[in-house]
Amino acid sequence: MDKVLMLGNEAIARGAWEAGVQVAAAYPGTPSTEIVTNLAGYDGVYAEWSTNEKVAYEVAFGAAMGGARALTAMKSAGASVAADPLISSVYTGINGGLVVCLAGDPGMASGMTEQDDRYFGRMSSMPMLEPADSQECYEYVKLAFDLSEDFDVPVMVRLSIQTAHQKSIVRLDETMSGDEAGRPAPERKPPDRKTEKYCLLPRFSRPLHLSLLERVERLREFSERSAEEGVLAFVEPGAGAGAGSAALPLRDGGTARIGVVTAGAAYISAREALPGASFLKLGMIHPLPVAAIRRFAAGVDRLFVVEELEPYLEEQLLAAGIACEGKRWFPQWGELTPVRVGRGFFAAGLDLPRWAQEKAAEDVSIIPRPPVLCTGCPHRGMATAMKKLDLDVHGDIGCYDLTTLPPVSHMHSAVEMGASIPMEQGFTRAGGSETGSVAVIGDSTFLHSGLTGLLNAVHQRTNVTVLIQDNSITAMTGGQTNPGNEKTLAGAETKPVDIAGICRALGVEHIETVDPYDYQACLDALKAGLAFDGPAVLITNRPCMLFPRKVGGDAYVVDEELCNACQQCMKLGCPSLSHTEVTWKNRHKVAIDVETCTGCSLCAQLCKPGAIAPAATAATKAGDA
Amino acid sequence: MSAEKQTAGAAQADAAGAARAHYAGGVVDDVMVVGVGGQGVIMAAAIIADTAMLGGLDVKLSETRGMSQRGGSVSSHIRIGETVVAPSISPGEVDYLLAFESAEGLRLAPSVVPGGVAIVNLQQIVPPLASQGEYEYPFDAVARMKAGGGRDGAGQAGDAGYRVVAVDGNAVGERVGSVKVAGVVLVGALSTHLPFSAGTWEKAIAANVPASFLDMNLAAFAAGREVGA
Repeated sequence: MDKVLMLGNEAIARGAWEAGVQVAAAYPGTPSTEIVTNLAGYDGVYAEWSTNEKVAYEVAFGAAMGGARALTAMKSAGASVAADPLISSVYTGINGGLVVCLAGDPGMASGMTEQDDRYFGRMSSMPMLEPADSQECYEYVKLAFDLSEDFDVPVMVRLSIQTAHQKSIVRLDETMSGDEAGRPAPERKPPDRKTEKYCLLPRFSRPLHLSLLERVERLREFSERSAEEGVLAFVEPGAGAGAGSAALPLRDGGTARIGVVTAGAAYISAREALPGASFLKLGMIHPLPVAAIRRFAAGVDRLFVVEELEPYLEEQLLAAGIACEGKRWFPQWGELTPVRVGRGFFAAGLDLPRWAQEKAAEDVSIIPRPPVLCTGCPHRGMATAMKKLDLDVHGDIGCYDLTTLPPVSHMHSAVEMGASIPMEQGFTRAGGSETGSVAVIGDSTFLHSGLTGLLNAVHQRTNVTVLIQDNSITAMTGGQTNPGNEKTLAGAETKPVDIAGICRALGVEHIETVDPYDYQACLDALKAGLAFDGPAVLITNRPCMLFPRKVGGDAYVVDEELCNACQQCMKLGCPSLSHTEVTWKNRHKVAIDVETCTGCSLCAQLCKPGAIAPAATAATKAGDA
Repeated sequence: MSAEKQTAGAAQADAAGAARAHYAGGVVDDVMVVGVGGQGVIMAAAIIADTAMLGGLDVKLSETRGMSQRGGSVSSHIRIGETVVAPSISPGEVDYLLAFESAEGLRLAPSVVPGGVAIVNLQQIVPPLASQGEYEYPFDAVARMKAGGGRDGAGQAGDAGYRVVAVDGNAVGERVGSVKVAGVVLVGALSTHLPFSAGTWEKAIAANVPASFLDMNLAAFAAGREVGA
């Protein structure tokens, strides 16, 4: 048997491929990105980075209608973008299996919110499976495809970042392992052409809603049956308990039989925190196997519910009349790590020496090291110019959000994909700011959901200035392609979209392309855009330093004699600039790390005494002298 | 974490099954690799995890999250045992800390278990915030670690302390070919503390580095074993 260490997301991709997935579509979003990145590497799978999550969902949905097995993947915020087809597709049902991987981010390692995605399953009546490790990711996604076709419904595989981004051992199916061309050719079902199934006019939707409700009942029976058979849910009796549950010591000297109902990443943390308890580990979290939970509850003295974020399970148990303890002990925010679960059990009275004391994970007094804009990042020039002009800056979702933090510290909103341009319109309609305001959005986010916002500004004749920080890649998630690129995810040649042309077609009359390495040009362009009467668009034109390939360049150096320690260059927050030991008027002079400097020259442009020059020039001068 | 796991930790066992014997009875080794984005922390973690798997053990690894390529702090957790449940290491339970950057080592020092081992690279990367003078960069990080600094209860009665092994990974790397193999030097230093044979480590290295650089990486690994014990 082949054993492989896999990320949860890699295991999802592998399982989906083995299950015969033919079409995969997604927009990149941490922590879901690697699912489709990996699927793109398998033979016989068409995989794409779609323009946004709604489009991706619809591409996958259409593929399923067309008879193929299809998959889409998204982060929490992406599910909000795709919510319309997500809910509607449960009404229509599918043809080929459709699996929706939804990866949440409790703890917000990179998310904007830590919403509890399980409510999407309940709201839409979409059946929901939740794996706990890579092995289950691999197995559950296959079950999800079968379930999808058996019940004529999309199936959600819900992941937490803990599950998606941990690596654990997967035992691969022997019949397929080692030979990636060894997958049996997936069978496409005949494509559907059923008006009454796929056209959600009220006359068709009403009966579809009734059949949806009837299907939920059948899924509920399936959920109970699979729990009974131990397929999607299983019971682990406590240590040394035989058939029953072990009694665990309490801090008051007594004992109690402890049962824990949990699923997914929370199960892993709870197992680590309280190894002696009895566990009912759920695999299907909508609809819940309530009867199975009730049977389990009958065998314990105290029933705990351990789950990340909202009391989703707890409230359903309480509604079913099953007494349980949950959010009273375990936090409703953040990642539920073993220590947080352990501290909860300790607070609840269990005698747990391992968790009796709060321990420091790190010394927070040591200098913080947040991520920063890379050396030479093309976002830096405009960010510094906007700060210089003291503009109100309405940002969007991308690397430029790093300018909200020191040392640049100049961005005043960054909320969700596509928010910048419409929020800037509302801000302007409210009267704007005295110094002026601007919307800032990257190329990928503009193509994701910026176009309609800009169109609105043109239609309403709202006088906004929009800065498109075009670095020609989806950078923040790790360099995925977007319609601005010459290649697709699959490596096929394609026509890169002309962003200026789009703006022109939308009716924008002031469009200026700016070199973000030219600081004066950045200032001038911002001023001209703000002065223009009508929507104005500025587009920067330098590529990302990391993707698709690392950009290098000839380093600059500081002439320490000329440097007067004025600190102008330090305002850029460039990682290649640092203070030297030498001071002038109590301020440190500056040096450039020639190993990492890419020669963007912004610091040289800001240097009033002219102390910064290309290394080559400086060497020549030194030779002359 | 129990004390018994420490006793067998230093074994340089070449005999097959030595690793299994070390982990018998539920011992779990918690290894944390920390550094700065771009230093190679993720590859080092992959080598360690692959070694454990090749050694026949269960292993879990939690990947660095967030924007690791943009100069931020990064850390990888690797847990090795017969059966490993959680992929993340709990506070105060790090048995082996492998720090690619000395301030990052000092930052995580409180999490090292009494009797644990901290292998710390002498490299110092001053972040832009410190360059701006807003914070003091701890240039004395290694000395503070050696003095037991940064840990709860350090110096108090009953504190077993922890061992600090300072390694100039960059210099050793440069000596065997390139500063780019400094990470594998550090892996070599760690390898002397874990119960897997050099051959198992070398297989894992081969699986994680480009073939054209394998020889240089193996030389880095060997050099790391010399300085890491």
